[in-house]
Amino acid sequence: MKWLELLTVAGTTLISAALVVTLYSLGVRFTAIAADAQQPSPGIKRSVAYLCFSLCGVAVLFGLYLIIPYFTK
Amino acid sequence: MVALVIALALFFDFTNGFHDTANAMATPIATGAIKPRTAVALAAVLNLVGAFLSTEVAKTVSGGIIREGSGGVQITPEIIFAGLMGAVLWNMVTWLKGLPSSSSHALFGGLIGAAVVGAGFSSVNFESLLQKVILPAVFAPVIAGLAAYVCTRLAYALTARHDPETGSKLTQKRGGFRTGQIFTSSLVALAHGTNDAQKTMGIITLVLIAAGSQAPGSGPQLWVITACALAIAIGTYAGGWRIIRTMGSGLTEVKPAQGFAAETSTASAILASSHLGFALSTTQVASGSVIGSGMGRRGTTVRWNMVGKIALGWLFTLPAAGIVGALTALLVKTGAVGVLIAAVAGSGAVLFMFFYSRKSSVGHQNAVEVEEAGQAVRFAKKKAMARARAKAKEQAKEQAKADNGAAANTPKENQR
Repeated sequence: MKWLELLTVAGTTLISAALVVTLYSLGVRFTAIAADAQQPSPGIKRSVAYLCFSLCGVAVLFGLYLIIPYFTK
Repeated sequence: MVALVIALALFFDFTNGFHDTANAMATPIATGAIKPRTAVALAAVLNLVGAFLSTEVAKTVSGGIIREGSGGVQITPEIIFAGLMGAVLWNMVTWLKGLPSSSSHALFGGLIGAAVVGAGFSSVNFESLLQKVILPAVFAPVIAGLAAYVCTRLAYALTARHDPETGSKLTQKRGGFRTGQIFTSSLVALAHGTNDAQKTMGIITLVLIAAGSQAPGSGPQLWVITACALAIAIGTYAGGWRIIRTMGSGLTEVKPAQGFAAETSTASAILASSHLGFALSTTQVASGSVIGSGMGRRGTTVRWNMVGKIALGWLFTLPAAGIVGALTALLVKTGAVGVLIAAVAGSGAVLFMFFYSRKSSVGHQNAVEVEEAGQAVRFAKKKAMARARAKAKEQAKEQAKADNGAAANTPKENQR
């Protein structure tokens, strides 16, 4: 039985999904903060939000790298 | 016989496509992130692309579940035909019932049934069966469900905003998760295309090799690749709306943040499993994610009787497909007349189920009732977006002035 592989898959799934969701949620939160009416520095907040979203973009690109066999072989 | 097997294999590919549209596209459709028609078109294109990306052929049809070649059962076009028949019929039945179920497990079931008829129970490798079908069926939903549960909790905790003084909810912009859903669900669709179209290509290629019309060890021919890619894409575009309904609204009500969490868990589970050596079924992962995310969001319930139905469906996948496979194998054994009877009976059953489904048609227009159908994500032009933002700000300022500037922020309705 491949219990070790099973555990690795479970762990990786949990960690990677949580990471992406955390980043995206932070992005959403900063977007919301930046949109508040009386926000002293919306520009910075918005840039942080975009940074979070682009990190998610990197995760998506990594997913593409894994999916397309041309890269992994 | 070879032509018959190829036709059936392509039809299996088609059912595989429309069975699995739901895995990728049910949650974005349910949250209104993508309009139903657009969603299935996107999934179809990604499946088509995915099919062309990955064209490696497995060495065995069943991946070691049946002892193939010497010491086991000789994989002939007849056995593959019987196995495919079991898989196709089971796919049609589960589609009619709107149950998401694994197409590859149905194929394994059909092949096992056919192999048992051909060479007895000794031809089935039960250890491999346990490891490749039964254990993953148990663990796939658990792993994905757990990840989706944690992620949903995280997403809501991180985006929850309260005014520190009044305690009232501030604007949360959770609709922003819709954009993310497009990307995660696209990843799932692409991964599906690379995995599943390849299975059919493998089957057709192995049949061609067995029939002697292709050199052993060579890859699939271009027409095989094209045909398989088209079959899965057309199947995906046809959209298994019944299954989309189950996954999108039958199991639990899905909201954008929750849908994003579920899709991300599905994508990570599929990618992790296909690269770390413990294969999990896409369908089972996706169902588990939806259930887990439903448990994670407060204020929603998981419809456990629907979960029970799906679990029952999974339980019956192997035996039911196996029995049809075995019966077909018995018929095929009797000779050309048997093959003809099997083919006619099979297509008759498929047609019957198709017309039966017409009685209560489920299409893109009524698969999932979306509350905010008008909110599908559009990538607005930058200028237009900036203008809209400026306008919104002005309005907010005016409102703040109107409120005498007393309230620090304008509390908007919560978007949960």
